[in-house]
Amino acid sequence: MTKRGAARRDISLTVNGEVKTVCAYPMERLLDVLREQLGLTGTKEGCGEGECGACSVFMDGALVDSCLVPVLQAQGSSVVTIEGLAVDARARAVQDAFLEYGGAQCGICTPGMILAAVHLLNAKPAPTMDDIREGLAGNLCRCTGYLQILEAVAAAAAKGGAAR
Amino acid sequence: MPGPATIGVSAPRKEGRDKVTGRARYIDDISLPNMLYGATVRSRIPRGKIKKISFGSGINWDEFVVVTAKDIPGKNCIALIEYDQPCLADGAVNHPEEPILLLAHADRHVLPKAVAAIEIEYEPQPPIFTIEESEQQRQIIWGADNVFKKYLIQKGDLDEVWANADFIVEGEYTTGAQEQLYIETNGIIATHDAERGLVVSGSLQCPYYVHKAMVALLGLPENKVRVVQTETGGAFGGKEEYPSMIAGHAALLAMKSARPVKIIYDRLEDMVATTKRHPSRTRHRTAVRKDGKILGGEIDLVIDGGAYLTLSPVVLSRATIHAGGPYEWPAVRVEAKAVATNAPPHGAFRGFGAPQSLFAIERHMDRIAKVVGISPAEIRRVNFLKQGALTITEQTINENVELGKMLDRALEHADYHAKKTRFARENKHSPIKKGIGFAAFLHGAGFTGSGERYLASVVGVEGTKEGRVRVLVSSTEFGQGTNTILSQIAAETLGLPYDDAEVAQPDTFDVPNSGPTVASRTAMVVGKLVASAARGIEQTLIAAGLLGVTHTAEEFRAACKKYAAEHGAFRSFTKYEPPANIFWDDQKYRGEAYAAFGWAIYVAQVSVDTRSYSVTVDDFVALQEVGRVLNPVLARGQIIGGVAQGIGFALYEKVEWREGRMQNGQMTNYIMPTSADVPEIRVFFEELGNAHGAYGAKGIGELPMDGPAPAIVNAIEDALGMPFDSVPLLPEDIFEAMNSAAIRDSEARAPAGVR
Amino acid sequence: MRSDPAEFNLVAPSDLRSALALMTTEGERWMPIAGGTDLMVQYAAGALRARRLMSIARLPELRQINVAADEIQIGAGSTYTDLRRQEAIARDFPMLAQAAGWVGGIANQNRGTIGGNIVNASPAGDSLPALLAYGAELILVSLNGERRVPYTMFHTGYRKIQLASNELIRAVCLPRRFIAYLQHARKVGTRNAQAVSKIALAALARVEGGIVRDVRIALGSVAPVPMRLAETERILTGNLLDDSVVALAAKTAASEVKPIDDIRSTARYRAAVVGNLVAEFLERLRAEPAATEAANQTLARWNALSADAAEGEILACCGSRVWARAMVSRRPLAEESAALSASEEICAGLGDADWLEAFCAHPRIGGKKAEEVASLQSAAWSAQEQSSAAAAGAELKAALAEGNREYERRFGRIFIVCATGKTSAEILAILQKRLQNDDRSELREAAEQQRQITELRLRKWLRA
Repeated sequence: MTKRGAARRDISLTVNGEVKTVCAYPMERLLDVLREQLGLTGTKEGCGEGECGACSVFMDGALVDSCLVPVLQAQGSSVVTIEGLAVDARARAVQDAFLEYGGAQCGICTPGMILAAVHLLNAKPAPTMDDIREGLAGNLCRCTGYLQILEAVAAAAAKGGAAR
Repeated sequence: MPGPATIGVSAPRKEGRDKVTGRARYIDDISLPNMLYGATVRSRIPRGKIKKISFGSGINWDEFVVVTAKDIPGKNCIALIEYDQPCLADGAVNHPEEPILLLAHADRHVLPKAVAAIEIEYEPQPPIFTIEESEQQRQIIWGADNVFKKYLIQKGDLDEVWANADFIVEGEYTTGAQEQLYIETNGIIATHDAERGLVVSGSLQCPYYVHKAMVALLGLPENKVRVVQTETGGAFGGKEEYPSMIAGHAALLAMKSARPVKIIYDRLEDMVATTKRHPSRTRHRTAVRKDGKILGGEIDLVIDGGAYLTLSPVVLSRATIHAGGPYEWPAVRVEAKAVATNAPPHGAFRGFGAPQSLFAIERHMDRIAKVVGISPAEIRRVNFLKQGALTITEQTINENVELGKMLDRALEHADYHAKKTRFARENKHSPIKKGIGFAAFLHGAGFTGSGERYLASVVGVEGTKEGRVRVLVSSTEFGQGTNTILSQIAAETLGLPYDDAEVAQPDTFDVPNSGPTVASRTAMVVGKLVASAARGIEQTLIAAGLLGVTHTAEEFRAACKKYAAEHGAFRSFTKYEPPANIFWDDQKYRGEAYAAFGWAIYVAQVSVDTRSYSVTVDDFVALQEVGRVLNPVLARGQIIGGVAQGIGFALYEKVEWREGRMQNGQMTNYIMPTSADVPEIRVFFEELGNAHGAYGAKGIGELPMDGPAPAIVNAIEDALGMPFDSVPLLPEDIFEAMNSAAIRDSEARAPAGVR
Repeated sequence: MRSDPAEFNLVAPSDLRSALALMTTEGERWMPIAGGTDLMVQYAAGALRARRLMSIARLPELRQINVAADEIQIGAGSTYTDLRRQEAIARDFPMLAQAAGWVGGIANQNRGTIGGNIVNASPAGDSLPALLAYGAELILVSLNGERRVPYTMFHTGYRKIQLASNELIRAVCLPRRFIAYLQHARKVGTRNAQAVSKIALAALARVEGGIVRDVRIALGSVAPVPMRLAETERILTGNLLDDSVVALAAKTAASEVKPIDDIRSTARYRAAVVGNLVAEFLERLRAEPAATEAANQTLARWNALSADAAEGEILACCGSRVWARAMVSRRPLAEESAALSASEEICAGLGDADWLEAFCAHPRIGGKKAEEVASLQSAAWSAQEQSSAAAAGAELKAALAEGNREYERRFGRIFIVCATGKTSAEILAILQKRLQNDDRSELREAAEQQRQITELRLRKWLRA
């Protein structure tokens, strides 16, 4: 007989600007709730251990790995995923730059990478290359070798993606 | 065909907008109604007989679908080159993590516990784990002698060569296993019903490989098996053959349960259970003249194939043909073999044997240079292949490749000579030792020898009702740019804008078999067929009187729309025709091994911190001749990405083995480079064209994997004055070598009698 | 993902008290989880034994960072990003700020907490060597109250800590006494970012005249617990930093640590690198004496006095004993700027009684003698400062005297103004204006004047 823990409960959080109430176990990972209950599959699982950053989202403005966040801890928070970034001019500048500079190859790391880039530019609109490397150091990419990603972020910064 | 040029232009990635917005759908983003999740019960021992399988208490087994080898309707094997690898172990296991049983359940969270609750009793047998143990043949674990495959290349008279040599230089070089580490793990969804048959969708490189394997495994007719490739998050060869295994598992569960089944590996399972780069050991013995000219040599090359044959013969083939590097060998004997060990089978990984044997020869060339007393650059110049020269398989180099001049250019870009001198001076006073080194190499594009003939690839192009064209290939996109490049080629051929061409989703119901997406053949070989098939639909329209021989894009669109309105979407197919003058002898391993070679010189500049023994790559120059650059941004991206993987291969990526099982199967402990570990990589392209490639292109996907490791290790030797002959080369290894050297030095200095 | 969420319970108490109450309930312990960067990895691997978890990530009582005169109290729930953003930490505890930047990537820094790093008790914890080197103290809290534990005593064995099952770490306290120390930290990981530490060093030292006065060397990842190199420190303390001492210290360090072979590295490598890193630190110490010796002669002399003598001397700058004692406790102060900024901080924390005491040390402006004169020096300075008032004409002097008396009647103490550079007429105008103030405002203004006087006197004293 398997031991059962807490029952599912209603947990409300704002996702991409809309208030959502999900019925979930408190220890479900925010990553799984976003992907499975809310259908926001843009956020990916690459490692499940907070190493690769493919699951990056914004939680109350801070970049976090959603595979490490129990959904209960996101209660009342404002979460933004790649799908929700489309409205942001700075994010669009980053996306366009990724296309121009070859920042995306297989694309699986791309949502997390773009979130990390936007997070960096929000804090440092005119980053040095070292700032960019540091800002993206928690996002692993196996395809690009990073350089075209770093160049894309630098280009987006230079264009001065409009502040929110 | 005048029209907007797209070749040589950085056309934006065809599926790029979906990727940067998160709209691209990978297999785990897809769910089907009534779907079950599958999990695999795997061997915990490296070798033995299965005595008993018990289903533990505490689990309601009635809720689970269970599949064993007994449930396999067809042949219990993963059909590839040979049929030795079981889909599910039946009575015996030959490697840790070998699949034995499958489970499925609607709630994926209950599966790990269920897997753990299955107890398997084994009668262990003595396992073997190294090339040496396999060669000793005290345990025979495969065939009659543990040898999957052997090749022999012989040319010239070696006895005479030894006699005339001024120097005989020996060396042994080893490379370790490397995990492909695509960021998207393996995943498949399978559905089956009697009417439609089996549909398998997922993350894979070669739909028709999976198709062939499913037909054999499930005993289904070919037209009752359908394989569809979904957006694939990286592959690098790791999804060439392995997906047939996971697809087979999902298919068996789907057939037994009559429900869709999804299997997604988590990172740990993917790392420990799937293929890795073949570990290798290469021994060189080379006869050299005093001016550095190689008179001849023996090369003994062994790769570790793991427990089953899978692709080892083909990896060995490429390793063998590249073993001589870009040099002339007046006489040579290459003995190569692939041997079995009780590890999960090793498999395809970008480079596919060439990085292993090229590491050896490029380290060996630096060693020869030292023995002879000439510079690393000079030793290359004396031996480089050139137009009219013969490779070790006696293939004549037909193009005017001038490797000496390429070397000059690469070294100039890297400021090699000035830096080498400066570092030698500065290193005396600094705890950080800097060094610079290079590697020269070649990479044969496309399948070896008669491989392309055997593949007999077929490509289609379709004209649609909208007046646009669709490319029909089984060649897959997994980041390397298939969709973009083939669209560019189709558009260019027909004088259409890039946006008017696209590549159809690879679905075996809809597209012909254009061969596997491997061997750096897609742009070059398949691309050429795409151009040909595109001309085919053009011909259809011309023959129908709807289009002139020269036309504008508008005219084409109009003609295409008109024709399709009447006849429906229309297609033209082209089949691969081998060039007349390609001759290859599979027995003697002699002749035209590849339709084209790419050529490259890579230069690495490193710092070794003698306090932490860590190596940093500070600067990297990658110069390569690639026939024709079809898309500059994509091409540059391929090179940089490959170099980064090469840096990982050289300095970071070590598989920690214990009893045949990978111990560091997490991203925390299997170390790939982050953005903070990759230097500026300066990429330079040269173009000599290629008659056998689309628009003159040669394959470039794998070439960048060959150069970094030897260039970096050569640079480390320059920095420290100590040779290293093994990768991955970790700080711990450098420490041990420096420590031993220090001990030897101090012992040597101690006066006699004092110990 | 190898755990079943249905088998777990996670609750989120809204305040510290409820969290602590939960920790005393019956049954299986509620395991605190903050940022989850360790526990959620275990959970995903199917290796988390706890089934009941209690989120402390948002407890406000654990997120505060308080900067006091003598120590910084860092709430245990502070994330690495919080640490990196705190100016006082960057200035006074740079090795901790540096360690916070070592942790994972930005996403991990936004969630991982210093408390979690301590409680997870991995010998490879990035912040732990710095905490050891700085002599951190932990404030542990339970429903029964709080207790302070020196961090050196917190680890009792591999992943074993001195934390009762009903306790949480509330804060980490770091003493603000390392301004004059050279601080040096280095992490050797498996790669440049997102790396588990193979060796991590945090070291600080104060050297005067080439002699090591105080040295603290802490290491992570080379023993079951993070450790100080007691033996190596003993060899160094009180000795001249010459070649032989450096070599001996490096050799001792390499043998003092107890590393193991593990999945990331080897014992031999770790020991060798420890020796190298210690040597690197000591070479840096030798090469940068200017950073560690007192640049100021007055301070050099005063630093070496007994506490009483030092207090007595510095009272001339400001008559508040609390201020004087706090300045003494900041010793050794290296340069002028350190002394001035210390004084400023201390002033910011003085209470009303302290200010009043300081005021009493001055003579009435325009008068000849102070009610209480702290020292001859103080009197001499007062005379200097009030020199222009002394030179004023008789009428002005009378007006000043009358104003002073009125002030004293109104506020019960003498009128304090920083007289330097002001004419008597200006002082009179200021006095008349301030007579209109209410008590509170006037005390504030007087305190500000005292602060300015103190600063002037300090500068004079430092250049004496």
